[in-house]
Amino acid sequence: MKKRVLAALMSTALLAGMLAGCAAPAAAPAAPAEEAVAEEAPAEEAAAEEEAPAEEAVEEEAPAAEASADFSGEDPQLEKHLKISTIWAEDNDNGVLINMIAKEYQENVNPNFTWEYEYIPSADLTQKITTLAAADDLPDIFAYESGKPIVELIEADKIVDIGAELARIGDTDYVTPSATSLLQTLSGTDTIYDLPLGLNVEGFWYNKALFEEAGIEAPPATMDEFEEDLQKLQDAGIQPLVAGGASGETWGSTRVVNAITVRTVGNDAMKKAADGEAKYTDQGYVDAAQKVADWAAKGYFGEGINTVTMNAAGQMLMSGQAAIFYNGSWFSGSLNSEDNAAGEDGIGFFNIPVVDESISSATDYSMNCGNILCLDKTKYDDATAWFLKYFVEHIGDAAMSTQGTIKGYTYSTKAEDIKPYTQLVLDEIDKATGAFTWYEATMNAEVSKTAQENVQLLLTGDMDGQAYMESIQEAADMAD
Amino acid sequence: MPTAPAVKKKTGRSGMKKVLGNKKAIALFVVPAFIVYTIVVIAPIAVSFYYSFFSGTPGLKWEFVGMKNFLRPFQDSRFRDALFVNLRYIGFVMVGQVGLGLCMALLFRFWLKRFKNLIRTLLFFPVVLPTVAVGQLFAKIYEIQPNYGLLNSLLANIGLQQYVHAWIGEMDTALPSLIVMDIWSAIGFHAVILYGAILDISDDVIEAAAIDGAGSFQLFRYILAPLLRPMIVTCAIFSFSGTVKMFESAKALTGGGPGNATKSLSMYMYEVAFNYNKVGYGSVIALFIFLMCIVGSFIIGLFDTKEDI
Repeated sequence: MKKRVLAALMSTALLAGMLAGCAAPAAAPAAPAEEAVAEEAPAEEAAAEEEAPAEEAVEEEAPAAEASADFSGEDPQLEKHLKISTIWAEDNDNGVLINMIAKEYQENVNPNFTWEYEYIPSADLTQKITTLAAADDLPDIFAYESGKPIVELIEADKIVDIGAELARIGDTDYVTPSATSLLQTLSGTDTIYDLPLGLNVEGFWYNKALFEEAGIEAPPATMDEFEEDLQKLQDAGIQPLVAGGASGETWGSTRVVNAITVRTVGNDAMKKAADGEAKYTDQGYVDAAQKVADWAAKGYFGEGINTVTMNAAGQMLMSGQAAIFYNGSWFSGSLNSEDNAAGEDGIGFFNIPVVDESISSATDYSMNCGNILCLDKTKYDDATAWFLKYFVEHIGDAAMSTQGTIKGYTYSTKAEDIKPYTQLVLDEIDKATGAFTWYEATMNAEVSKTAQENVQLLLTGDMDGQAYMESIQEAADMAD
Repeated sequence: MPTAPAVKKKTGRSGMKKVLGNKKAIALFVVPAFIVYTIVVIAPIAVSFYYSFFSGTPGLKWEFVGMKNFLRPFQDSRFRDALFVNLRYIGFVMVGQVGLGLCMALLFRFWLKRFKNLIRTLLFFPVVLPTVAVGQLFAKIYEIQPNYGLLNSLLANIGLQQYVHAWIGEMDTALPSLIVMDIWSAIGFHAVILYGAILDISDDVIEAAAIDGAGSFQLFRYILAPLLRPMIVTCAIFSFSGTVKMFESAKALTGGGPGNATKSLSMYMYEVAFNYNKVGYGSVIALFIFLMCIVGSFIIGLFDTKEDI
């Protein structure tokens, strides 16, 4: 009998040990979530309890809000805890701004407001947000990608119509018209479902000393001049071009294909192909890809372009190892740093040279709003609306005064000390009269991945322009 | 004195027999493990199978599509490319890891008299390095831009400039470069296992073969190879299970590129399920990998025939 009891005890201990062992790895990664876990741990019941009143509250408050619809007065200091998930660390870039605004809002306006900030690595962003959306557990505010990814959330009715909300709270003027128009184009809607967190132009950065060495007096304005300059640089023994070509960073190379495509086919070239009005295999698209393949074959991109990261490419431009580098205005951050071997005035910028002004004008820029912020529809309420109001009213000034950057919002202050490259970018943004999007903006994940992976083969000569565009078209056909 | 351990042994054996004869005792030991195994292995496979009849992502555009996902691999050139990459990788890496591991083990046993422990430690060292670190290390070795890495510097300095390559940036050389890295990182593991097996072979047998006039090759062919076969098969299974899931090393070194040159089925499955949000089709690829594991293990098992001694 004793043996039986002992055996039962031992097997219970064994079972408990195994279960504990199984549970451990699950518990371990959950630990850093701290507050979130603590809050979520009271688990489903609590969640269910929260959700039910929340729904009621929305139903009750919505008409109330409509009835009063007064966001012009003082903040009513509603109690609210927001979860904000983004791809920026708290001490970096937009992470600093978002936390600064939240802190100011808490300290100056609404002491009943609290927030928790979660960092998501950018590579995991789409996957994580898609999973959370499927589980109806999106954070209150989260960073996401404009273009095709956000369209899926809009179609699934997961995010707030921010355009309508800004109208309700009387803050439509705070998001600049250019940012609004860009976001509307990217989501294919006549309202905005996202908040911009940048207003960037893209183009070619060039090393002035190397241009001078090759006898080039001014940056090229037309595509023919551009090609002449590339040859001049090559003849002078200078690597003319560099781009991000390493796996995972090939968007730096597809941007170059995009630049030529847009200038030869038109600003809406990629949208037309995505909508089925044109084929990726139409002659203009193929010719643009072939031109990049030809440049690579001539050695303009140097050796081993497929192993060059965007960071390495930037370093090569600054250190004089390559003359021209396609990148966005955010590159000014690296240029402003003390590590820039080219100095404060060593690097210049020119917009993508034109082919025909009637097809795409010299003041049309490749522009984007960076990663954007969305608001979860189920958790959105008046308290969030008051925070949204504070956010859009203050982020423009905060970004300009602390970072000297434009985020797509109006601003009334000027940075005390704008660095030269930041000023250069601001000047370029001022010149813009029209905008077009990046290569993959209108592609879904599958087509985008194919375009980015196979551009490596275009650069090595394993694919020609025709084969490259056919692979993209095939992916588009398969994705449907 | 000699009787005491014998009695003890007998008691131990009969005790064990008694425990193993008791179905309840067996159940007590087996059931908990079986439950856990069911939860972490069998259930996901069953769920995967269920998912494979749907398109989209659970919760978002989730629709029943019947057998459509099972037909997709036949039309999908990227699936075929990934399968081909995976098979080449498995073949070369398995032969490299086990074959060179065996060579190293023989080297320790028969030729290396001095510094044996030091070399064995050095050879085993890569096994304990994280895959991502190994990937970064080799990315530097193969580097061509902005500066030549170790390999290209060496080639350039000894006058072989024409062989300087973007080793991981070109289609022809990316997979071989990855294979070399993975053989290097696991060779020590297999060498140590096989060296242990060689030490188990009695010196008398080897001496007897030598007295009978067996040369090195004959000694290996007729004495060592048959005696080492069970351990070689074990190593082959280890190597197969490590290579069939080819993921992290390729991710760390090449990211699957250039193009699809180093993209394995596991990487493609991940992409399809989590980047393209096609969980159903991803599940079909996962099931295919599962079948590959079963078939591969079965084929390796065919070599594990019992010796007639």
